Amino acid sequence: MRFRELTIERRILAGFSLVFIGILIIGAVSYRNTAILIENSRLDTKSHDLLQLLTNVDEAMDEAENNHRRYLVTGEVVYLKSFRSLTEQKPTYLKYLKELTAGLPLQENRVATLQNLIEQQINAETGAIAKRDKGGFEAVRRIALEGAAKREITAIHRIIGEMEVDERQSVRRRFSESTLSTTNTIVLLALGALLQLVLLASVYYLIRHDITARRKVATELQLRGELLEAANKELEAFSYSVSHDLRAPLRHIDGYASLLSKSAGDSLNDKAKRYLQTISDSAKQMGQLIDDLLVFSRMGRQEMLHTTVNLDQLIKTILYDLRLDLQGREISWTIDTLPEVPGDPAMLRQVFVNLISNALKFTGTRPIAKIAIGLEKKGAGEIIVFVRDNGVGFDMQYLGKLFGVFQRLHRADEFEGTGIGLANVRRIVHRHGGRVWAEGVPDQGATFFVALPTRRPRT
Amino acid sequence: MTAAKPILLAEDNPRDAELALAAMEEEHISDKVVLCHDGAEVLDYLYCRGQFKSRLKGNPAVVFLDLKMPKVNGLEVLRTIKSDISLRPIPVVMLTSSREEKDLAESYALGANAYVVKPVEFHQFLTAVKELGTFWGVINEPPPEGSASTN
Repeated sequence: MRFRELTIERRILAGFSLVFIGILIIGAVSYRNTAILIENSRLDTKSHDLLQLLTNVDEAMDEAENNHRRYLVTGEVVYLKSFRSLTEQKPTYLKYLKELTAGLPLQENRVATLQNLIEQQINAETGAIAKRDKGGFEAVRRIALEGAAKREITAIHRIIGEMEVDERQSVRRRFSESTLSTTNTIVLLALGALLQLVLLASVYYLIRHDITARRKVATELQLRGELLEAANKELEAFSYSVSHDLRAPLRHIDGYASLLSKSAGDSLNDKAKRYLQTISDSAKQMGQLIDDLLVFSRMGRQEMLHTTVNLDQLIKTILYDLRLDLQGREISWTIDTLPEVPGDPAMLRQVFVNLISNALKFTGTRPIAKIAIGLEKKGAGEIIVFVRDNGVGFDMQYLGKLFGVFQRLHRADEFEGTGIGLANVRRIVHRHGGRVWAEGVPDQGATFFVALPTRRPRT
Repeated sequence: MTAAKPILLAEDNPRDAELALAAMEEEHISDKVVLCHDGAEVLDYLYCRGQFKSRLKGNPAVVFLDLKMPKVNGLEVLRTIKSDISLRPIPVVMLTSSREEKDLAESYALGANAYVVKPVEFHQFLTAVKELGTFWGVINEPPPEGSASTN
């Protein structure tokens, strides 16, 4: 089923092309048939003229022969009238005969023979009349009984008869031809119309079917979008209330552990004190996780502010705010001039705070940390900012986990952290319509790229 | 007279209540604290009814209100207090786990005097409760009795 493989557009195009070709064929055939009808009707008129003319010629020949005989017998001049009229009419008759038989070789030949015969008859009769005028009735007695051109007139009758039969046959042939052609045209028109109707109906069905299918898909999509949005909202609300309700018991664990260590402090040995401290520390750590989760959840829900953010200024402020963390560290900074981008200042600040904090954190083991913040070659409609460090880096095979929630590539006792920073970075950048990715080599450093659109995203 | 005014603490969670009381104890103000376990009890206390029928007359120095409470929640209690002309002068401090913008906005719109988010870490919680108790129960001068009910 090749047709089934075609796209709907091609099917519709094919349908309409067939209809168009059908109209062309019907038009062409109808035109040809009508042309035949017109030509036949013209030929019929000619045939009728010819038949009429042949009758006239035949009668004129007959009359001339009869009247010349009467003259031969009586010598009355009045009988010569029709003979003279024939002599005068002869060129006209011949001219019309030639015209009406032009293009018909058989009839043309007959007209040539007829012309000879007519001339012979006239000559014979002229000769007889001359004899009668010179020698009187006795000189033409024998001729007057038989007629001067008996042989010729018989031949003339025969040829005219043949021509008439031939012409009538032509008329009959053309009549049946015209009838057939008309019938053909009617049948063709009827069949064509039927076929066009079927074709158009199929095309209509195709289009209708397609529209229905598309409408169904659109409704489905809309429904799914709504469901997805509702599910998302529910999930956000859920994660918020879970994080929220988790806070109270943590406070209790920490609180009671503190109260216990205070009220029984003196009677506890060092081991017991360490246990209590661990309980408190764990509760605090979980509290940090929950706080981070709350921030992450809020990042997804929070209304975005649409203003312009000066990245240069942003980085400077962040570095100023981090100055206390930088004490006692030897860091070589390389910071390019950065442009302005459309976006939410607080959110973008979070992005670069996280990236720079990471760079600081993972270069902690280096005698001299090297951190570079710069602009990658501009893409079309976006800018790409990178943050590069010479820290511990990461194995590219874990790239997929890098931006996941609570995903960590380092042991907790190596580097602290909850594993939510980069997840936040990705979420914020996605909300800005941008992309994030990273490159890293274990023990040599990592580079994080943030591509932000230079035009405000539509949503 | 001022020192005698009680501090009303509305807290449905007994552990949070105990921890708060422990914090107040360090500041020696725990004996002034009246603990209510839900919003209905807070209203009973304020209107001297139910178990508080025979209590000494007079408004508390401050009401610490949790948002999420059984029966009548914190926002409803707040609304009742701030729409009653004799209760309106009582300072109300929201003491809650919620940092939701919606809750914040609504509380202030209803006339809350302060909004404090309970810190997760106990020591911070301790400090917050101590400071709150000291400030509202000792340092702050409460409105004089009958200041709004003369009319």
